Amino acid sequence: MDGVATERRVVGRRLPRLDGAGKVTGRMVYAADFALPGMLHGKVLRSPLPHARIRRLDVAAARAMAGVRGIVTAADVPAVRYGTAVRDTPVFATDRVLFQGQAVAAVAATTPEIAEAACRAIALELDPLPAVFDAEAALAPDAPLLHPDWASYAALPVLAREGNIAARARMRHGDVEAAFASAHRIYEHRFATPLQHPGYTEPRAAVAAWEGDGRLTVWCNTQLPFDMQAVLAEILDIPSGRVRVVVPGIGGGFGGKLRVGVEHYAALLARRTGRPVKVMTTTEEELTAAYPRQATTITLRTAVDREGRLLARQGRVLLECGAFANSGPGSAAICMQILVGPYRTPALDLESLAVYTNRVAAGSFRAPAGPMANFAVESQMDIIAEDLGMDPLDLRLRNVVREGDLGPAGEALAGVSVAECLERAAEAIGWRERRPAPNRGKGLACSWWMTTGGSSGVFVRLAPDGTATLVSGAVEIGTGALTGAAQVLAEELGLELEDVRVAGADTRDAPFDYGAQGSRTAFSVGNAARVAAAELRRQLCALAARRTGLPQEAFRLERRAVVGGGHRIPIADLARESQLSGGGLIAHGTYINPAPPYDPTRVENHPLPVFNAPSFHAHAVDLSVDPGTGEVTIHDYVVAQDVGFAINPTWIEGQIEGGVAQGIGEALSEEIVYREGRVLNANLTDYKMPTAQDVPRVRSILVECPSAAGPYGAKGVGEPPCIEPPAAIANAIAAATGRRVFSLPMTAEKIVLGEGG
Amino acid sequence: MSFALHRPTSLAAALALAARHGAAARFLAGGTDLVIQIRRGRLAPAHVIDLSAVPGLAGIAGTPEGGLRIGALTTLKAIERHPAFAGGARRALAEAARVVGGHQVRNVGTLGGNVVNASPAADTLPALLALDAEAELVGPGGTRRVPLDAFLLGPGRTDRAPEEVLTAIRLPPPPSAASASAFLKAGRRKAMEISVVCAAARLDLGADGRCVAARLALGAVAPTTLRVRAAEALLEGHVPDAGRLAAAAAAAAAATRPLDDVRASARFRRHLAGVLAGRALAACLGRMGNGEAA
Ligand SMILES: Cc1cc2nc3c(=O)[nH]c(=O)nc-3n(C[C@H](O)[C@H](O)[C@H](O)COP(=O)(O)OP(=O)(O)OC[C@H]3O[C@@H](n4cnc5c(N)ncnc54)[C@H](O)[C@@H]3O)c2cc1C
Repeated sequence: MDGVATERRVVGRRLPRLDGAGKVTGRMVYAADFALPGMLHGKVLRSPLPHARIRRLDVAAARAMAGVRGIVTAADVPAVRYGTAVRDTPVFATDRVLFQGQAVAAVAATTPEIAEAACRAIALELDPLPAVFDAEAALAPDAPLLHPDWASYAALPVLAREGNIAARARMRHGDVEAAFASAHRIYEHRFATPLQHPGYTEPRAAVAAWEGDGRLTVWCNTQLPFDMQAVLAEILDIPSGRVRVVVPGIGGGFGGKLRVGVEHYAALLARRTGRPVKVMTTTEEELTAAYPRQATTITLRTAVDREGRLLARQGRVLLECGAFANSGPGSAAICMQILVGPYRTPALDLESLAVYTNRVAAGSFRAPAGPMANFAVESQMDIIAEDLGMDPLDLRLRNVVREGDLGPAGEALAGVSVAECLERAAEAIGWRERRPAPNRGKGLACSWWMTTGGSSGVFVRLAPDGTATLVSGAVEIGTGALTGAAQVLAEELGLELEDVRVAGADTRDAPFDYGAQGSRTAFSVGNAARVAAAELRRQLCALAARRTGLPQEAFRLERRAVVGGGHRIPIADLARESQLSGGGLIAHGTYINPAPPYDPTRVENHPLPVFNAPSFHAHAVDLSVDPGTGEVTIHDYVVAQDVGFAINPTWIEGQIEGGVAQGIGEALSEEIVYREGRVLNANLTDYKMPTAQDVPRVRSILVECPSAAGPYGAKGVGEPPCIEPPAAIANAIAAATGRRVFSLPMTAEKIVLGEGG
Repeated sequence: MSFALHRPTSLAAALALAARHGAAARFLAGGTDLVIQIRRGRLAPAHVIDLSAVPGLAGIAGTPEGGLRIGALTTLKAIERHPAFAGGARRALAEAARVVGGHQVRNVGTLGGNVVNASPAADTLPALLALDAEAELVGPGGTRRVPLDAFLLGPGRTDRAPEEVLTAIRLPPPPSAASASAFLKAGRRKAMEISVVCAAARLDLGADGRCVAARLALGAVAPTTLRVRAAEALLEGHVPDAGRLAAAAAAAAAATRPLDDVRASARFRRHLAGVLAGRALAACLGRMGNGEAA
């Protein structure tokens, strides 16, 4: 590219993170640490029942308590319903509560303890109503309707909705009937996956403060500050320009902090009391009223020929949204692309339903829909291989997509590397010896995932000392993605990483960014930074040309200088000169990846029909199962992931290791357990995330098959690593024991006694 | 949540405080059970008596009879590391202490706390029962000793009077016969895990290879830690061959009265009880074979 040195000096290197020192020394201020003078503490009264009519809600006694400064209920807020796909969510329950954990009132008091006591002092009388606790039951013709007024809700136009179905979508092509009729074998299985908490370390927290002129500032740990700004403006019924959202620091999100959680309660209570208010969730609230990964039930039917070639697939995804649709419609639909998998599928007929139930309104946890659908398709691939007497690796290699094949929506696939990922993961795990000892086995799984698009804007300023500030509205969620974007900027400007500072995560001062979601931050912010850098290079080369009389094209940026025609002018000099005589060196860059073309006849009512810049990956695991206790011990875990181009291998490996840990939790131990609509394990004693002793050393193989659009060919890397672990582990358990578990988590009990107790 | 915190510097002062406040007071050792129970609103003591400044309550020492006296405030980490449990007849106790919670919990959590808290799932209790432990208590009436199986009355309930301090756990001298013990635990993850089932066993063999004494105790399968006398009786006086061990394990499973809960079904707990009991007994035999026994 014009003016850039060809040798890469900053990208591709294992450089320290820009946010690292503050985090490891404890100096970083997270939203949960944030405090203002005179701040009150807010607590939320939540419904104890899964479905009930509110007979009485009386806050008089609570309001009279010493230390209580303000209470808000549905009666005090505009009757808005908000929501990402369907506007079905009220701030507080109005006439009915729809799940255990739904907010009914919020209290601000001088201490959290007083606020909690005041919540208990609120008289809430409920008349229980018939409820539905699983998606299948919610589809029955006589099932109670969660939202009798569903038809009046605003929603994305693409969605098809009806009654308890928040969204129905379809993907199909080819002659499925004929394919099944001519099949050598047909396989049909049903898989189930539970609610999984995103497991971020920092609870959701927000501090809200109003200024005299009716402007609101909220310091919180949202992944999407601009979305938060818009939602808060709607809920508070004020212009969005009056809402400022700042993300001081975020202690993990994994999709659980995409949507408004406590911010609106803080803002409403602050408005009511005239004082800053902080609201932070407890563990119990996290496990009853956060945005866990949705539960699914997936039926998958597959036709194959004698050689194990896939002929057709048919399937149905029931994804449980819980009481409100939230991200359910999108997640349910994406399940279909993951169910197709990275496999050539000549005929296809998949349907997905996002369904309301009287359980927690679930959300989009890291690679939403990925692990659930992958568990189904990759378990079934192994079952097919076993049945046909084929090696599971060979069966996969026979069917995987190759460069130029069509994806499920008829899009042309590029940068396809799944065969390489499979081969390298298998090689590293020692695949040829699949059952190295009694009760020991190896498993494989592969998948694909998208790099979510969405736009990014950045400002870049070069200071007179030659350093650059990258102002972005993106959030450093902990992945190192903004260090990656800074590496891109440094590379493009001939600077070192240490010369770049990242600022932003403030809706008042920073340009728009679509947010920390969908494996897109390094990709999109990096691309926007490249655009801004090109503009700055132009400005610098023009200054150098003016100074030397040489043409602008003679110059390039290299090692903190503009170099050409025997001249070497430090960038700092030119920045200083420009500041004195030209207003300084500033540029902006914007980027949006154009939606890839696809065949609309293949999809119906799908909000996300094509994967942008898809990545491919394969996982391999070696484990033992104790035949008596069912205890699983993982010996070795390998991930071969196509990252397109590794901007910073260290932090990519970090993403892989963390994703595998979360995937191991989903595979073996994590589940929010309900009985009759109430959570039985709303604490970290019985909600079991894996510990350091449960997670083996994870070996990462970074495959680099470049994308056309990403910076230097990069693809999204953050979400994929948690997709394959449940399937890979399921397949290894089957190899070790001869038994297969069809529902997550695959507890010791299920392994030993079978499912159904 | 508010209480008066006392920090007596002598046992006498601690006893006086306990006598004054009776059931309104709780002793505080490591606090890893008590503080959580208070924070979750399950307990609301008006007085908390911190025992950490009382001298002489921590430490492991031999007794004149050749037994061991483990001070109630001895941390689980200290037990895990102490040579008295590193191998030999009392190894089960270190094996149990080593799997309580995580390092942070074991660095402050005490043996006395685990015993007085009397959770049916407590890890050290089966090991202590297998080792014939006694509780040593000091109260207004002086010192008394109670065999541990008589001390444990129900979930969270013991024979301790509110005015009594548990001062130590005593283990008798090992029998002259060859003896070995073992502890095993099953849970959903490998650390920070409340036992789904745990089991401890001890076997003492005479010179003729017959079992002189057998102990088998199970956690998390009944309202208290369960000593399975029926299984012990199947072994004592016999050569513990594979058939005997299997019968004892089956008796152990049959003796359980487990719950169905979020951690496991009753059926799975009963299954695990049999598996762990059989393995713990086999481990005792194996350890004697390895010359590891006392
Ligand atoms: C994260 C976590 C994980 C855990 N994992 C496990 C586990 O895996 N296995 C397990 O068994 N336990 C586990 N526990 C429970 C706990 O750590 C143990 O029971 C521990 O031994 C308690 O000791 P403590 O000193 O902390 O007791 P404390 O909490 O101080 O006291 C417990 C009870 O005993 C009383 N008490 C304490 N000492 C005396 C005394 N000397 N005289 C009279 N009364 C006394 C107290 O009044 C209180 O009622 C866990 C706890 C936590 C927080």
